[in-house]
Amino acid sequence: MLPAWMMTDDIYTPQKGSSAFISKTMAALGRTMARLRVQRGHEKSRHLPAVVKIIMLLLLIITVSACRNRVVILGIAAFVQVYLCTWPARDILSVLRTSAFAGVLALILFAPAMVMNPSGAANNLMAVAKVFLSVEMVGIFNHTTQWNHMTAALRKLRVPGIVIFTIDITLKYIVLLGTLINDLLTSVMLRSVGRNTGRRRSLAGVMGVTFVRSSEMSKEMYQAMQCRGFTDDYKGL
Amino acid sequence: MHIPENYLSPETCAVMTAAMVPVWAHAAKKVKEELPREKVTMLGTGAAFSFLVMMINVPLIGGTTGHAVGGVLVALLFGPGAACIGVSVALLLQALIFGDGGVLAFGANCFNMAFVLPYVGYFVYRTVAGFRGNLADVNPIRKYAGAAAGAYIGLNAAALCAAVEFGIQPMLFHDGAGNGLYCPYDLTVSIPAMMIPHLAVAGVVEALFTVAVFAFVTRTAPDMLIDGSGMQTAPDAKSRVPLFAVAAAMIAASPLGLLASGTAWGEWGADEIAQTSAGGETLGYIPEGLASGWSLDVLLPDYAMDGVNEVLVYVFSATLGTSILVMLFKLISIPFKGRRN
Repeated sequence: MLPAWMMTDDIYTPQKGSSAFISKTMAALGRTMARLRVQRGHEKSRHLPAVVKIIMLLLLIITVSACRNRVVILGIAAFVQVYLCTWPARDILSVLRTSAFAGVLALILFAPAMVMNPSGAANNLMAVAKVFLSVEMVGIFNHTTQWNHMTAALRKLRVPGIVIFTIDITLKYIVLLGTLINDLLTSVMLRSVGRNTGRRRSLAGVMGVTFVRSSEMSKEMYQAMQCRGFTDDYKGL
Repeated sequence: MHIPENYLSPETCAVMTAAMVPVWAHAAKKVKEELPREKVTMLGTGAAFSFLVMMINVPLIGGTTGHAVGGVLVALLFGPGAACIGVSVALLLQALIFGDGGVLAFGANCFNMAFVLPYVGYFVYRTVAGFRGNLADVNPIRKYAGAAAGAYIGLNAAALCAAVEFGIQPMLFHDGAGNGLYCPYDLTVSIPAMMIPHLAVAGVVEALFTVAVFAFVTRTAPDMLIDGSGMQTAPDAKSRVPLFAVAAAMIAASPLGLLASGTAWGEWGADEIAQTSAGGETLGYIPEGLASGWSLDVLLPDYAMDGVNEVLVYVFSATLGTSILVMLFKLISIPFKGRRN
């Protein structure tokens, strides 16, 4: 015989709560990590070595920023567009989206100057075009070069080991810590029903755990490096 | 044939733009229904061809210059709706970046070159060639005769529309002294001035260009044709190589247009117009609309920069315009379904 309290219907409708913050954060993390882990670019068919590309990129960016001769800039712009227009549509979109954002931002920054002093508008627009072009070129480089090839290219350019080491470790740990945050957020989401009243507390928890975990990881990595003969000398890296 | 800023009254511009809105809507609907994704990408190549052809000026009778449009060719390859969209985008780029054709007159220019030209040309082509939906059934001689007739008649129909738009200005808008506020020449001057050179030279150039490229595409890249006769073969990247070669050759040849030194009829600057003459009489005044009109400061007015080798700038402009058009149509193609007929 069941007790009476078990016979009654339980009516529990959880209050509707939004987990928009968690899902948005997770989506953003996922996107960043996907970009770092699996490059969506199409490097396979582009065999230009990363060192050549990086030198070309630097030269072009310096030329575009320093050059006052508009024909040279027009020529570089034409050259870059011709290269870009041979790409598949989606790759073009991802490069242009970033550069368009940078261009619009520059336009907004220059807008007051152009309104107050219309005679200088042509020069300001030139600067906007330069920003767009530079970001576009970086986008193309980024899209055609894997992260590890970039760091390898930097090494060949005699960039100090400590810089490359930091970049490399940062990139790797973004992925590791990103995975950790993703897991933590998933568990918070799975455990909360309806409206989560302690959202701030759980967020603080996620950040705290991430911090503790990252310092543990760095300590472990330092120990691992010491085990392999690291003597605080970055030159030999 | 690009009507510049302030040659048409704002009222005329508004009417022409309003007339184009349903045409654009219809054309966009057609393109969406009929063209698979690969074709939309290729439409960019068509628009780029049209852009290049419009840059190559040819000297016409009477010291003026003109150019072919290539709109009929795009209509033959992709259908008139697609040609309307393609040429409109090319014209927009010319108006905004290169100052070729006014921004306010954009609707009028589209009406002439993106609506009248491809639709009339395509209709003539279908009639002459006896085209019934499958290009394989068409007699090759009739096909090319149709293409030539379509291009010739299409271009001249567009020139006639432009001449009428110019010519009605002084009748509708003039000051107390009878001087025109915008375009100062009436129909009796504008129609012969526009039509004689276009009938004699520019139409022939358009016809030659259309037939040459149409024949070339039929042979090298039959999958580009709209009718489906070549659609069995999947678009192959290698089949595009000859087309890109032609585009590159055209870019390199575009400065030849600079050899034609005169200004096109109806495209004088405000500083030139007072010296122009018709029937032995010099105009002698600057119409008020031109003297005080609004105009957009574009990046590369007339495909040129002050004090710089004009050939270089012309080639760079051609390259830039072409690649922007190709990219633009690739981006437009993203939402389209990749469908094979």
